[in-house]
Amino acid sequence: MRFYVDAIGLSAPGLDGVDALQAHLAGAPLEIAEEWQPLQTSLPARQARRLSVSIRSAAAAAEQIDPALPSNAGWVFASSTGEGDTLHAILSALCEPEVMIQPLRFQNAVHNAAQGQWSVARGATGPATSIAAFDASVGAGLLKATMQVVLERQTVGLVCFDTPLPPPLHQKRAFEMQMAVAFALSPEPGDGSLCSLTVERTNDQASDPLETMTLDPRIIQSHNPASRAIPLLARIAAGDRGSLIMKLPGTARLRVQLGDATDA
Amino acid sequence: MTQRIELSDIGIIGLTGVSAVGHGKAAHLTAMRNGQSGLSPCTFPGADVPCYTGAVEGLESIDFPSALASYDNRATRLSLAALETDGFAQRLSGTIERWGADRVGIVLGTSTSGVERLERDYRISGAEGPLSADYSIRDNNDHQAVTAFLIDHLGLRGPSYTISTACSSSAKAIIDGAQLIQLGLADAVLTGGVDSLCLTSIYGFESLELVSREQCRPFDVSRSGLSIGEAAAFLLLERRGEGPRLAGYGESSDATSMSTPPPDGAGAAAAMRQALSMAGLQPVDVDYLKLHATATPINDAAETAAVSAVFGTTVPVASFKGLIGHTLGAAGAIEAVMSLYAMAGGFAPGSAGCQTPDPEIEVAVRMSTTETRMTHVLNNAFGFGGSNCSIILSAA
Repeated sequence: MRFYVDAIGLSAPGLDGVDALQAHLAGAPLEIAEEWQPLQTSLPARQARRLSVSIRSAAAAAEQIDPALPSNAGWVFASSTGEGDTLHAILSALCEPEVMIQPLRFQNAVHNAAQGQWSVARGATGPATSIAAFDASVGAGLLKATMQVVLERQTVGLVCFDTPLPPPLHQKRAFEMQMAVAFALSPEPGDGSLCSLTVERTNDQASDPLETMTLDPRIIQSHNPASRAIPLLARIAAGDRGSLIMKLPGTARLRVQLGDATDA
Repeated sequence: MTQRIELSDIGIIGLTGVSAVGHGKAAHLTAMRNGQSGLSPCTFPGADVPCYTGAVEGLESIDFPSALASYDNRATRLSLAALETDGFAQRLSGTIERWGADRVGIVLGTSTSGVERLERDYRISGAEGPLSADYSIRDNNDHQAVTAFLIDHLGLRGPSYTISTACSSSAKAIIDGAQLIQLGLADAVLTGGVDSLCLTSIYGFESLELVSREQCRPFDVSRSGLSIGEAAAFLLLERRGEGPRLAGYGESSDATSMSTPPPDGAGAAAAMRQALSMAGLQPVDVDYLKLHATATPINDAAETAAVSAVFGTTVPVASFKGLIGHTLGAAGAIEAVMSLYAMAGGFAPGSAGCQTPDPEIEVAVRMSTTETRMTHVLNNAFGFGGSNCSIILSAA
């Protein structure tokens, strides 16, 4: 199953864009502003203030790949936890003597809130989905995007994102550092294609390539499910080739082989 | 790599479902044939909302596997109830034996997963926590939790994930399951959906003023909103298997609003057209239109406008929501299973709950059951986020 990567995107504290990641990989220290917020412009400003950081960060990464995608592209959003802050707000409301849930909050509590808000902001009317697979959400998202690109000959935007949970949920599932990573995927190579990817199923249980990367320990030890997309992102950005293993739930894995954009 | 195959080479070799009308094929056939609603006044613990719900009976008496007790919640219990109905679990073990666990995948759709158990924990611990020592996010409210439970319970080792696009989730799970087989990533896939009643859904839809005070009445002139239900339903797909087919599908996004479709249902129409085109069918070939039709005034109007644009005004439409309520993320799967039951039963079910069709609705409403042989059935499932999914199921 071979397809092409036409653009990549990244939104994380201190890493607003793929260039920042490359600079960090080249030795620049990771500097995180105390009041960091995702840099996004697609969501209407008044509305954006009411939307979760999760939705805004997914939009920030999606915006970076958007110019490489046609308006009828498919979109795959992959996230383990989706809207954790909104979930906590609703659960807190359920603890009150008189239960009142804010209607906007409820409709933005769904796992596909980021995907839905993005499609509204962009006017994207193509097929869109929202995938979850715990710590293997990135692998599962890539699997779904691969199937869509290959079977439907469809250009697909893949956005993998996760936001740390608020307490008391955080104590039960601790990961840090807001993160969103995006890939524009196409069934055919184009002038701007960065590389080809060949994705196959494997049971190769190689360790997570993130652990061996020269990155600030805050990224490697964030345990953010979306951080599993960083090794692929970094290799594409650097023009590296070779292959890496991506986790699916259980023992299933994907082998992702990077090749030249000219590979047929 | 295994050779790529066509959608028509994949068989739906097993079906099961539990909903407010009962467990399995016989209960659903009886309810559909007689238009007997399973909706009853809401007694869900902690829900002080004067409404009707579609609750599944018998979940408390399920013998939950003690080694997997950490997964025990209403959603996983629903999934067990469905597995243990109509010999589905036996059929599934036979399939795993035939292909090997490594070649059997699972794709499920859910909206709220096991959040019902987390709600109980919050209401005991308070919003500040801490949550109870034995509570596991991974095994309960995580979106993958029911899927993870079934992987552990059944020993599946193929590719797996969960789709969570609100109320279109499990219709999309059927599509993704088929895609895994088409590309040779698995030889059989357990697909379907699960969603349980929970306070989040009941109070959430109540806040949007979408919950009816009576049993929901799809297409009716005085329809006043939805009734929330719960369900679990599975479809077992197999490479070159016998049985009905997923003939085609279409997916689109409204891109207009998180919760309200455009009045002409343009996105819904696009999804239905794609499904017809992929199935190689003309509108006239489709015998039965099972709409999403939740019984909210706006949604039924938009969806029937879309049907009118694609199918004209003479093909009658039907809704199952008056029988089982809106089962949210499970709706796509349970209603697909019910459509296939009806197909096998040789009749076209009416639209329970609809007494006087809304004259503003252009299309004809299928009011009562008719005995007829059905070959192609179209099912719609739509969700928050403007997520539209249409599938066409065809007889073997």
